[in-house]
Amino acid sequence: MKKAMPPDAKRAAFVSILFIVISIASILISLNTGTLPIPPVKVIQTLFGYGDFTSTTVLFDYRLPRILITILAGIGLGISGAILQGLSRNPLADSGILGLHAGAAFGLIIYVTYFHSLNEKASLFIPLFTFFGGVLAALFIVLLAKDRFKGILPIRLILVGIAISAGFGAVTLFLSLRLNEDTYLFASRWLVGNVWGRDWIHVISLLPWIFILSPYAWLQSKTLNVLSLGDSVATGLGAAVQKKRLILLVTAVGLSCASVSVTGSIGFLGLVAPHLARRLVGPMYQYFLPLSGLIGLVILVLADMIGRSVFAPNSVPAGVVVAAIGAPYFLYLLAKTK
Amino acid sequence: MKTKFGIILSIVLLLVLSACGQNNTDDSKPPGEKKNRKNTNVASLSIHLTNDLLALGITPAGSVVGGGLKDFLPHVKDQLINTKKLGPAADPDMEALLALKPSAIYMDEEYGGKDIDKFKKIAPVHVFNLDEGTWRDHLKKIGKLVDREKQAEEFVEDYEKETKEVKGLIEHELGKNSKAMAIRVTAKELRVFGTARPMGPLLFDDLGLIPANGVKKVDANQPYQVISQEVLPDFDADAIFVVVNQDDQSKTAFKQMENSPIWKGLKAIKNKHVYVIPDQPWLDYSAIGNKIAMDQAKKIFSKQ
Repeated sequence: MKKAMPPDAKRAAFVSILFIVISIASILISLNTGTLPIPPVKVIQTLFGYGDFTSTTVLFDYRLPRILITILAGIGLGISGAILQGLSRNPLADSGILGLHAGAAFGLIIYVTYFHSLNEKASLFIPLFTFFGGVLAALFIVLLAKDRFKGILPIRLILVGIAISAGFGAVTLFLSLRLNEDTYLFASRWLVGNVWGRDWIHVISLLPWIFILSPYAWLQSKTLNVLSLGDSVATGLGAAVQKKRLILLVTAVGLSCASVSVTGSIGFLGLVAPHLARRLVGPMYQYFLPLSGLIGLVILVLADMIGRSVFAPNSVPAGVVVAAIGAPYFLYLLAKTK
Repeated sequence: MKTKFGIILSIVLLLVLSACGQNNTDDSKPPGEKKNRKNTNVASLSIHLTNDLLALGITPAGSVVGGGLKDFLPHVKDQLINTKKLGPAADPDMEALLALKPSAIYMDEEYGGKDIDKFKKIAPVHVFNLDEGTWRDHLKKIGKLVDREKQAEEFVEDYEKETKEVKGLIEHELGKNSKAMAIRVTAKELRVFGTARPMGPLLFDDLGLIPANGVKKVDANQPYQVISQEVLPDFDADAIFVVVNQDDQSKTAFKQMENSPIWKGLKAIKNKHVYVIPDQPWLDYSAIGNKIAMDQAKKIFSKQ
């Protein structure tokens, strides 16, 4: 064996493995939860291909796609939150608060309005629409939060983000209201974080975004570490600050906007997950970035499970469940950072 | 401190997780407990088709609920006590549907859309376009499917008989060829119903009232159009049917409207030909819905 790992790395490895176990547990429990009770043994049988018609249909047609979507989106939102907090050097940053989700919503409404009636394959392009919406919002935020001399001001970033979020949200609801009642209902449900993607096509549409961008973000851990030290230090350490920041911002936008395209605007997840991760393994990105994704996964999978089971037959959007936990945590953070 | 936090967190999570698991095993009753009732073990994915089925004496084993109400419609609720709620029509609970093991699924084309294969996997699907024809056509189509054509005919005949009676009462009250309109007061807007379902066929086809000026201009593919109070006099209606939403804000909005000079100046108000009707059953365009609405209309116009 090689030399003993540094204590930080050891700890990170331990906590990560712990969370992988928790993730698997929550996925299994989630698979087991639904209107139609299926015993756990049968769930496992079915997963290995020995189920009957009912259990196969329920698991593979109804539950599994939805759970995979929450898994992927949870990872995406957790990681994008971690990136954004580093880039803005603000622990309150989150793709929802920064207005990226509102931008994504705008993109989605355009999709729903003009392309929803197209055939099923068109769903593959949904993340693309939300991504461009998100980029549009990010562009506004960066332009407005930029100071001519000091670069992007972290405090202003959040404030501008909130304003952009409100603005885009209003435009989206207005547009959807003018269109027709169904679109309006869809948009308003989406804005509170309703996991509406239920089919394999939505899983496939989300998969490449998370599978490509998450490892990329992890590979950029060193850059993120340096960037979170502040621009002057980062420049001094030889990082191409502006360029790297832009690329990472686009990565974060891609991760979050692709995620919310099928899960609805899940707020606070990108805020809470990185925080918990940082508390558990410290502020080094190579350690806490993957953990942040895992925590995001656990929270979103469980939130969606609670939302669709506890209040049955009326389901509560996962975003509401996350917010019910996330909002008090957010207030606690605000009080503490004073 | 960090270690402690981590340990506590994992303990809490484990507790939560194991608690969830337990609940599940408790619920695991063998599925398919319900006995198969011959021919009537059907699932309805439209509240209106549910009520058509009820009109034929078939209680669906499962039915979707009204989207806003999150429950069955009030005028049929007591007939659906043993019916499983399948969630709102726009997002039906597939697992509950599958658990019913229905022998047939009735659905509205509007909501079925692209996902019809999903339902076909569970049971044969009968799709209805509710915008095509009247509820009589839907009822007869269902009657054919469940072998109760005679009941369907009888129900329609019964309805036509009552309609004739009510038509007479209305003519007596309002005079021949009187113009009518139906409006709905909600908290945020005032709507006028067009000639499409739910109100159009009932008032203008069945009861033979003449659409007030402008009612025909409402897009025939839309149930209603939003108007402003100021244009109400332009409709020049002899009679106005007013649907007021159940919530307090809508009731307040209606009260305000009643006190406005425009409202007071309307011909229908001056002649006391304004009829406030409940949203259900009047907006439930189905066999039962229209039948109960007709019963209510009979009451309203015999009182005069």
